[in-house]
Amino acid sequence: MFPAPIEKRSDAAQAMYKSFLPIALFLWLAPLIAVAIFSIKPDADFTTGNYWGLPSTFEGAANYGKVFFESDMPRYLWNSVLITVPTVIGAVALSCMTGFALGVYRFKGNLLIFFMFVAGNFVPFQILMVPVRDLTEQIGLYNTKMGLVLFHVAFQTGFCTLFMRNFIRALPFELIEAARVEGIAEWRIFWYVVLPLMKPAIAALSVLIFTFIWNDYFWAVVLTQGPESQPVTAGITSFNAQYRAAFHLMSAGAIVAALPPVAMFFAMQKHFIAGLTLGAVK
Amino acid sequence: MSGVTLNKVIKRYGDVQVIHGVDLEIIDGEFCVFVGPSGCGKSTLLRMVAGLEETSEGQINIGPRDVTRLDPSERGVAMVFQTYALYPHMSVEENMGFGLKMTGHPKEEIREKVAQASKILKLDEYLSRKPKALSGGQRQRVAIGRAIVRGPEVFLFDEPLSNLDAELRVEMRVEIARLHQEIGATMIYVTHDQVEAMTLADKIVVLRLGNIEQVGAPLELYRDPDNKFVAGFIGSPAMNFVEGTVSDAGVDVPGLAQTVQAAVSLPSKGSGVSVGLRPEHLLIDPAGDTHTVELTEALGGVSYAYLTAPTGEKLIVEERGDERSVTGAKVGLTFEPHRAYFFDATTEARLR
Repeated sequence: MFPAPIEKRSDAAQAMYKSFLPIALFLWLAPLIAVAIFSIKPDADFTTGNYWGLPSTFEGAANYGKVFFESDMPRYLWNSVLITVPTVIGAVALSCMTGFALGVYRFKGNLLIFFMFVAGNFVPFQILMVPVRDLTEQIGLYNTKMGLVLFHVAFQTGFCTLFMRNFIRALPFELIEAARVEGIAEWRIFWYVVLPLMKPAIAALSVLIFTFIWNDYFWAVVLTQGPESQPVTAGITSFNAQYRAAFHLMSAGAIVAALPPVAMFFAMQKHFIAGLTLGAVK
Repeated sequence: MSGVTLNKVIKRYGDVQVIHGVDLEIIDGEFCVFVGPSGCGKSTLLRMVAGLEETSEGQINIGPRDVTRLDPSERGVAMVFQTYALYPHMSVEENMGFGLKMTGHPKEEIREKVAQASKILKLDEYLSRKPKALSGGQRQRVAIGRAIVRGPEVFLFDEPLSNLDAELRVEMRVEIARLHQEIGATMIYVTHDQVEAMTLADKIVVLRLGNIEQVGAPLELYRDPDNKFVAGFIGSPAMNFVEGTVSDAGVDVPGLAQTVQAAVSLPSKGSGVSVGLRPEHLLIDPAGDTHTVELTEALGGVSYAYLTAPTGEKLIVEERGDERSVTGAKVGLTFEPHRAYFFDATTEARLR
């Protein structure tokens, strides 16, 4: 077996492993730990320069209370939900259909269309930033949740189609042929035969897309501004006033914002990993 | 119920032609088996009848209807796949009733037909199970049940028993034969296993490289093959072939160490001829010393002796009775001359 399990290596190697692993772990988690500690510090610690020390007083309850009851955070969180959930539904629903069409039917240009879906994923967002912002402005979707949803659906459908098409290709084709011989209409084959078998793919993709979209910062900043439309990732910065930054509240907000995808990950871990590997292997 | 007629049917994939103008008439209620080595086009031909492969040229009729350009759903056929193709997310009952449900049959009727089919196939106790929880043989029975409930004009089987183990295969073979007697519908069955072909068929169609080599009843093909391919393909163990040359007295066959009298019209003197002899028509003569016994397989009632001729050609002889040959022995061969088949060495056609 390669690599050799650590228990079978020399004592020196084992000692190295045991001492360096916690250090690596600490370095890896340092930013997260810092944010977590920041979120329970009093405001005064930042003005007196106590950035990295222990909190002078424990202000966790007060900070989180402020985030929830005295700021726009709940609104931003709700915006995130209103952006993420429709995007997940839209992108997954569309890609089920495109994936079925591209995976099952042989027609001229099938591969070309498929490649266009895939190629879309390789266009860097930064190139699209200005034209997309102008486009949303012109069709009146700038600074609306709807605009963000539509563009997320458009951009995610490429990847989702790749995923779904490959998944459907891997299903036994005889199932579709058997249904055809039985005289079942194509859309019914899609709905009653293929869709139920796609459940694992749908679950995996939903979790994956949920995390992508919830954590999106780029398009949130480019296409929206203000609490009426911005999701929580962009909204956290509203704790920064013009002359000073409220680091403790931003940290508390960041922790709150990170919770849904993290919770999603732990609840649906199996599907999440399935999603990553399904896309990779097939 | 209705028969199936193929008229000069051709299949091309791009420039490659795989079925070369097949003519075939399967009459109503007949059990027709397509048999041939892999790559001979038997499955393609079946799928063309089903409508799953487009027919490039020619015409396919089911009963009086021309179905050449119809969708599979409009042809009135039911198909059983090698991989069963059961819907994994439905129970046995739902699997069997799915086609009827989707085509808008009332619930009562579906339940009745499913119950009827499950009785025929002894699936009653499994109706609520998912395919995953069934054995291979049960899955295949469900697949057959799914075909039965729709009451199709023609049943199509695409190597339905290939995924089963030997014992189950025999059992299912008997079951399919019984089913055909009970239902009496036209059935087309594809297999590469000639035992299935021989035991099930009313009519066997031997295919090679997209052409029909011969059509006929099982024993007709066995006793009266048209060419060397059919002679070698039908029968197990296969027919022995040894090379001979036409002479004044008949055919000189060094591989048999004798000259064979031929009651057929032979080509001109000196031309090559293949002589075919079935293992059960050869007799071992312990007094002779022309052939060496390489190996004997004793199966109980019969033994198969593998012989090497003086020319190096291999022959298989079937032995019955108490005296069996032993490995390494030197023996001779005898046979009744009228049992020998003669084939042209170049065209492989039977000489009659």
